[in-house]
This record gives sequence, C-alpha cells and structure tokens, in this order.
Amino acid sequence: MTEPLFPQPTGTMGRPYRRYEAHEKVNGTATYASDVRLAGTAHAYLLASKIGRGRIEAFDLTAALAVPGVVDILTHETVGGQIRQTPSLYTGGYAADSVRPLGSADVAYWGQPVALVVADSYEAAREAAQKIDVAYAVAEAASSFDSGGAEHSELEQHALRVGDFDGAFAAAPFKIDAHYSTPVQHHNAMELFATQCVWDGDRLTVYEPGQYLNNIKYGLAEQLGIDPERIRVVNAYVGGAFGAKGFLTQRTALVALAARRVGRPVKLVATREQGFFLSAYRAETRHHVQLAADQEGRLLAHRHEGWELTSRADLLAFGGNGMTVRLYACPNIESRVNVARVDRSTPGFMRGPAEVPYAFALETALDELAYAAGLDPVELRRINDTDVEPVGGLPYTSRSLMQCFDAAGAAFGWPDRTAEPGSMRDGDWRVGWGCAAAFYPAYAASSSARVRLHADGRVHVASGGHELGQGMYTMMAQVAAERLGVPMDRVSVSLGDTDLPPAIVAGGSSSTTSVAPAIMAACDAIRRRLGLDEGSQGDVVAAMVASGTGMVEEYAETRAHGEAPDTMRRLHRGQAAPSGGIHLEDRVQFALGAQFVEVRIHARTREIRVPRAVGAFAAGRIINPRTAHGQLVGGMIWGISSALMEHTDIDPRNAGYINANLADYLLPVNADIGTVQAIMVPEVDDLVSPAGVKGVGEIGTVGTAAAISNAVHHAIGKRLRDLPLRIEHILEDI
Amino acid sequence: MTDTHDTNAPPSESRRRFLIGSVVTGAAPLMVRGGEAEAADQPAAQAVREPVTVQLDVNGRTHRLDLDVRVTLLDALREEIGLTGAKKGCDHGQCGACTVLVDGRRELSCLTLAVAAQGRDIVTIEGLEGAGDELHPMKQAFIDHDAFQCGYCTPGQILSAVGCVREGHAGSADEIREYMSGNICRCAAYPNIVAAISDASRRMGG
Repeated sequence: MTEPLFPQPTGTMGRPYRRYEAHEKVNGTATYASDVRLAGTAHAYLLASKIGRGRIEAFDLTAALAVPGVVDILTHETVGGQIRQTPSLYTGGYAADSVRPLGSADVAYWGQPVALVVADSYEAAREAAQKIDVAYAVAEAASSFDSGGAEHSELEQHALRVGDFDGAFAAAPFKIDAHYSTPVQHHNAMELFATQCVWDGDRLTVYEPGQYLNNIKYGLAEQLGIDPERIRVVNAYVGGAFGAKGFLTQRTALVALAARRVGRPVKLVATREQGFFLSAYRAETRHHVQLAADQEGRLLAHRHEGWELTSRADLLAFGGNGMTVRLYACPNIESRVNVARVDRSTPGFMRGPAEVPYAFALETALDELAYAAGLDPVELRRINDTDVEPVGGLPYTSRSLMQCFDAAGAAFGWPDRTAEPGSMRDGDWRVGWGCAAAFYPAYAASSSARVRLHADGRVHVASGGHELGQGMYTMMAQVAAERLGVPMDRVSVSLGDTDLPPAIVAGGSSSTTSVAPAIMAACDAIRRRLGLDEGSQGDVVAAMVASGTGMVEEYAETRAHGEAPDTMRRLHRGQAAPSGGIHLEDRVQFALGAQFVEVRIHARTREIRVPRAVGAFAAGRIINPRTAHGQLVGGMIWGISSALMEHTDIDPRNAGYINANLADYLLPVNADIGTVQAIMVPEVDDLVSPAGVKGVGEIGTVGTAAAISNAVHHAIGKRLRDLPLRIEHILEDI
Repeated sequence: MTDTHDTNAPPSESRRRFLIGSVVTGAAPLMVRGGEAEAADQPAAQAVREPVTVQLDVNGRTHRLDLDVRVTLLDALREEIGLTGAKKGCDHGQCGACTVLVDGRRELSCLTLAVAAQGRDIVTIEGLEGAGDELHPMKQAFIDHDAFQCGYCTPGQILSAVGCVREGHAGSADEIREYMSGNICRCAAYPNIVAAISDASRRMGG
C-alpha cells in the first residue's frame, strides 16, 4: 500500500506537524455549531417554497399550530417588517442574496424559506412544517440560459481587447474554435447548515459554521437593527465549507428572531435538501474559445467569451477569462462576459469559482490546439510560457508553471505516452493520459492577531479566523512557535469567535497568506519589547526571565499589498475582501500547477475510471506540508468529481433541483478514487506577503477536469466539451 | 472490546435476525403504552407523539429516556444523551457520518429509531477507547496518516473502519476502498483514510 508522503522541510517549507485539533476530531469532542448544547432549546424547522416564482396568497397554519409542542411559526405575515434588508455580499453588504428573509409574499426562487416553525422538539417542528398549507399564485420561472424569461446582457467591465484578434485569427495556420459548458454544482460539505441562537437580555450569541464570522455579526446587526457589539458569533470548527459558508444566509436572522420571540435558545439544522437552496452554488457556465498559433506553436490569437448564470436579485459574474487570457503569452486577445438572470437563488463562491469552469474551457482548447499543431501538450505550454501577463504587461511576482509540468510529468511517466488517440490499451480498457495547467490567484487581505507570551514559555495566539479543515489552528500555532522560537506544544490557539481580533474571510485561498503576517508582526513586537531581534534568533523565555516580566501581549494588524487605507476599518466591520491575482496595479500574482491524469474507459461498459492522478503545485512557502498535502489531494479529487460526477439537475418546469440529496447528487466515495499524488514544488516569493505564502486551498481543483477530458480524448479519440463527462457521451464504437 | 457477532454467518441468517429484531423492538413500546382502548379513542398520530420510555445502553452506560417515538438513535444520542460525536450529514442514510457500532456492527444511527435500539450494545466515537491511556489504534492511525480535514465525517469513518477491520474487509487497499464506500468524506481524504485503516488493521491484529 502507498503510504501518504509528507514532504520533509526544505527551504520553502515548514515542518509537517500533526493537526493541532487532531485529538478532538478523532474523539468526537470537537464542537461544531450543532453540537453546542444550550439548556431549554427549542427546535426549528424551515419550510421552503415549492414554486420557482410567484406569490404566497395565503397560509393556513391551523393544522400546524395544533401539533402539540409547537411554540411559534414565523412567516412574512407573523414577522411583519422585523427583519431589515441588508445588501448582498456583491454590493458591499453581507448577504448570500438580496432577497429579504420573510420580507414579503413574493417568492423569488424554489427553496426560498417561507416559514420557520419553532417547537419543543425537532419531531414536532418537522411535523408542523409539513402541515402548513401554503396557497401560491404561481408564475412562470425561468430556470437557465435557454428559458424564455431569462434576461441576457453583457457585462462591459469584463471586456478586454488587445491587438487585432480577428486579423490574427484569420491568418493563422493552426486554429481552434470550440464551445464548452460546465454544470450547476453544490458544495455539499458534510456539515449541514446549522444555526443556534441564544439571547441573554439584549445580547445575542450565534453558533453557526462560518467562513467569515464578522460578516455574520455585522450583517445580522443590520437585519435586526441592533448594535453589532451586542452580537457574538462563535464557531470553533467548521464541518467543511468550500465557499458555501462565507455568506449571511436567510436562516440566521430567522433563528435569531425566533429565539427572541420565544425567549429560549432556538436550534435549526437545515436538511440536506434545504442546503441546496440556502446558500450559494456554482452556477452553470458556457464558453466560446478561439485559439490560433503559428507554425512553431506560438499563440497568435486568443479569444474567450463566457456566459454565466445569476439570479434576478443579484447581478453577479466571475469572469474567469480575465485570468485565463493572462496565463500565456499572446499578442492578440479578446474576452467578453455575458450574464443571464433567471428565477434561481443567487450563485456564488465554490472552490475555484471562476477558475474551475474557465480553466476547463481554456485548458481543453489548448490540448485541441496541440493536436492541431502536432505538438506535445506540455511543449505547447512551454512555448507560450511567460513571466509577463500579456494584457497589461505586468510581471508575475513568481511563476513556476513549467517546473510544475516537469515535476508532475516526470512522476507521472509522461514521456512514455504515445500521442496517437486510442493507441494505449490494456485488454478491454482504453487508456488515456492527459494534462492541463492549474492556476489560482494569490490573494491576501488585511488581518489582525494577538499573541501572548508567558514567563514559563507558554504562548497563546488569537485571531478570529476559521478552521474549515484546511489546518488553520495548526498554521497559527506553527507560525507563532517558529517566530518566537518556542516548541509547538507550548502554543495554544483561539479562533472562530467575533470577540477575537478580526481575521479575513476564509476564502480565496487567502487565510494563511493574510493571517500569518499578522501573527508574525505580533511576535516581532513581543521580541522588540524584550529587546531581541526580529526573526527567530534569541531566546524569548530567557529574555522574559531576565526582564522580570510575567506576561507580554501584543496585538498587530497587517495590511496587504495594494489595499486602500480604509481597509482596516472595513476589516473591523466584517467587510474586507482579499485582493491580489489580476487586481493589482503593479503586478499579477498566481500560484500555478500542472495536473496529469490517467483515464481508463472500458470498451464494453464505457465506464470511465481515473486510476491515478499526479499534480505538482508551486504556491510559494508551504507552512505545513502535511495539511497542505491534504488540501491539494482533496482539491484534485474535487476536480475528478467535477469532471465525472457532480451535476445538480434543474427541473425546467419550476427551476427547482431534482437531485437535492447525497444519493442522487453524485459525489466520489472511497472506491471511486485511486492513487492521487500531490507534489509541492519549492518556490520563493517574497512579494505576495511577508509570509511568502500563495495559498493552496483551491488550486488543486483547477485544471483537473480539463486534464480528464484531454485524457478521454487520448483514450478514444473523441473530444468531450460538456461537463460532467459520462458514459452516455461515449456510446459510439471505441 | 470484543467482537461478538459471527462474521461467517450467511447473509440470509443475519437478515432474518435483523427483521425479527426490528419487528419486536418496534412494536413493543406501542403495546406497552397504548393498549387497544386508548388507541381507539385517540387519533393514531396523537398516540405516537406521547413520550415513550426508552432504555439505551451506550458506551457501557444505561440511559433511560422519555422520547417521542419518532426520535432516531442519532437524535437520541446527540440531543438527549449529549453524545454529539455522531454527526448528522444527511439524515437519510446516504453519507455515513452518523455511523455507530451496534452489537459490534456498523449501523446508520439516522436510519435506526431509538426504540429499536433498546437492549443492544451501542458504541459511539466517545466510547471507542484504546488500551490504558492510549488512543484506540484506529484513532491514532487517523491522526498519523492525516486521514481527515474538517473532521465532520471522522467519527463515522473511524467507527465504520473498526467495523470494516472486524468484518475482515481490510485485507487490501482495494477491499478497504470498497467496504468504506458508505462513508462520504467531502474533504476527500480518501487516500489517507485507506492508509490509516491499513495501518490500524495491522495494529488491531486484523
């Protein structure tokens, strides 16, 4: 059996410490939001709309109220105007969407919460919710791009034009002109969307899994019309998030209001099905990619037009082609982004939100171009590698793309590949090898931290960040231990609490990039107070003893490169967002990688398997190779899943989701996954942040689907351009 | 902990045992409480809402609980007894996060009614202990191989893994993958889970 390989420390890596919270997690004592036990708790159950658009004409609550144990039922009628509007995250606010919770009789999307039942028991709340009779006036709901009621528009701010695309494309010897699509997908973290709220007088405590607890705190204060300082949000462990828990969803205000009305703690654990509508999702996208190259394979023209889907309530598009057209050298570039607004909940961030769909389109098109030009796909990327992005001429802070291709290619055995599609067989299996680039912007944000050093050598580090499984506790302890020169087992960590110094959203792969510098700055301030140099020279405990000090505590804030002067004020209001990638004036910053996969397609059943995948990633400094390895491997498996399995099916009659459960929404189980190897390519980048970190949370998921579609083409000679790739797409002779 | 069930029993026998057990334990509380006269006087829905006394043997301790007859074993463990290690990931038997050991076998506590778990030996993650002060070898192996990230599916994975080893289904990586496919890990720590189970299987003498 293959043992997991945790790289040993090198010049750019820290030590592979075991997880700080490992014992709590294996013993079942890690307290997730729904595990918090509050005396006298009443249980809530959501009722979600069963129409895609329309109006609630009447509620009949008679049967529901007759269920023994029912305490309260919140509807737009019983709530009145008690929950105020807060803008969505995309318009400078906090909310997952701009539909006010229980704000009116209008229904904007299937699954919108229309009532919340509170009862003494979960069973009674559920029974009562099922007995609420809602009379709807149903209007036609537009479900996706081709629906009659969809509103189409171009987002001008995403348009780019460099050189003369039309002329260069027309004259080039090799060209590709193809359309691609990616489906609706849902995060489906294992932890359900739970919320517990308890009031103590006029003070509210919220237990809710979050990637940005201050977002919940300040947004909820606006919704309830109360002083934010009266709200505390606590969450020590998040049971997976992947982007779904970075928003203030409709449920929080409902549970908070219910707890105030009934004068008891109220607990909601939304069902798995309800989770498909409560938060954001990865919306479907379409792509038109045109590439042209000269005789040597140099890109002459690159055009990428994207179509994205969003809700009526919120105009939102990720425009990932702003990144993809900057990845390779090319003199003539165009990109456009169009959006269709339909009657769905608002989509949003999901692991590699812009990168995963746009990388699938570009990196598949590049493979097609390599075949058209008779080049090896790796060599095509090498020919077009660049240290300067071609749109604005800005330098990459560091770029190790080809080092990644070479490391992963060697580990995979790429030189043994025969290029001809269908040329590699193993009995009834058609074998295909494919590759693709991975990229993810290096984002950083302002953050703060507090570090305390005791004379006996104990250290406590606190920052209101979030432990999603990415290894936040471990990273925070490790940075403080290394910066102060104390052993890891002397360091304790607090996070996940709005009473702590604020940290940035755990999104955009930016937590470590953003929070590590604040911890380093606080540690350095402690060293200065003790008369020691910054860095790790000098014994802090000896200095403490010599100075006769009992305890030293320092708070530090760090501002990320290129951020506006008001960023700290915004951080303290739960409104700061990471920046970087292509959004800086003087440079671009990306983590880069290469994905290689082997696909096997059975000639009789057409079953598609991925027995092995090898990725190599250069993401600056790796603080903990063990936890980073887990992120990268998990990301690659997400990529395999996005290519072959995940697809939320939309009912065109009502814009609802048909497969909103874990049996019908296909996710990989253990038997679906073979060998997955993630190589961390050493890279030094002192510009991205004082910690030298670029982040590894999402890049593993980017490019995998293209590598798989390219491998399928190599296996059977058929080019598949619409995800997910399934048996029914390859029924012809192979 | 000893393995009390017969791993060599043919499937038909264990299935028959399960059916008998379900019928007996499922029917008993209604008969004890209601009686025919009461059931005739009240709507059936009213009767099932009244609490029944349920006795659960969990991690070597007996708990007497007054429960709504609809309460699942998962909710009884979490909400009534306070053992929150078992997790709710779907409540439909689709994810495995609620897996506990019942009479030595892995079961989905969200698909088991609490009343049907009476008289059975229930072990949750909190009760899975090693020798002396040591962690159970499966728990230690999960730490050593970094077989989790967010940790939410982990209690179910570990108990399922113990079941997998005891069933004799940890003989190879492929076998482990197959017999651990009832437990979804969305963080996708699967390769490390397989390595951890293989390692622990050796330490458990599996």
